[in-house]
Amino acid sequence: MIEGCFKILHSVSLSPGLALLDGRKLFSSPGSANFLSDLYHHLRAEYPKFFKMDVLCKTGFLAAEILLEAEKAERFVMRNDRAVLLCNASSSITTDRKFIEGIANIDDFYPQPSLFVYTLPNIVTGEIAIRNKFSGETSLYVIEKRDDGILSSLIERAFTDDETLSAVAGWVDASSDSEYEAELFLINKHL
Amino acid sequence: MELIEELKLKVIEALNLEDMKPEDIDPDAPLFGDEGLGLDSIDVLELIVLMERNYGIRISDSKTGKEIFASLRTMADFVSKNRTK
Repeated sequence: MIEGCFKILHSVSLSPGLALLDGRKLFSSPGSANFLSDLYHHLRAEYPKFFKMDVLCKTGFLAAEILLEAEKAERFVMRNDRAVLLCNASSSITTDRKFIEGIANIDDFYPQPSLFVYTLPNIVTGEIAIRNKFSGETSLYVIEKRDDGILSSLIERAFTDDETLSAVAGWVDASSDSEYEAELFLINKHL
Repeated sequence: MELIEELKLKVIEALNLEDMKPEDIDPDAPLFGDEGLGLDSIDVLELIVLMERNYGIRISDSKTGKEIFASLRTMADFVSKNRTK
């Protein structure tokens, strides 16, 4: 559990087949091969770009959608006091593998721009920031394994500047199209 | 299959327009900007790859590209006149 000089307002946990908000079931679709799309439709997010995202971005995007809807504040208002701070261990490996497959055959060598974009793991922080008009810090740290102590330190450090008052922070990881997880928190700085 | 219909399917597949059906695409609607499909700069790169891979057409001039990708119909016209496969 993350802890420090900040207040957790809401938490979201996302894993294949199950989405929890503040520890309670929000949506489940056990065994669905298209759980992330099912959840997107359930949330009525109306953001067609979702379908172009890779599994890491979809996971982070949906977790953030749940979190920010739970806030019950006006959405999509420009703000520079909210950071997006994420950690993961698998970086962008799922898309990296697909991209390499796409350029493996010299006789059929067509690098796909839409895949290449997602070989940058920090794109997930950008997707969340762009969607929600957050212009504060956006960072993704690739670490060996989940470590809430590291995440807590990163959050506390973000709050030491003069601007950041709030953060969408947590863990989002996808080691394959069917193996993904997120635990995100909406956090306010203790004033 | 008529070329426009073929292009609709290829564009939907290449750009992962999962919720879109061929009949949802107006062949004369602008592909970019706020109207029509609302595609972005990454999408245009994907369309360039689509043209080369499927029809043997290389597009390197951005001015020409704007004219070619104005709509699905302009794409189809260009393909029918310039395809090498």
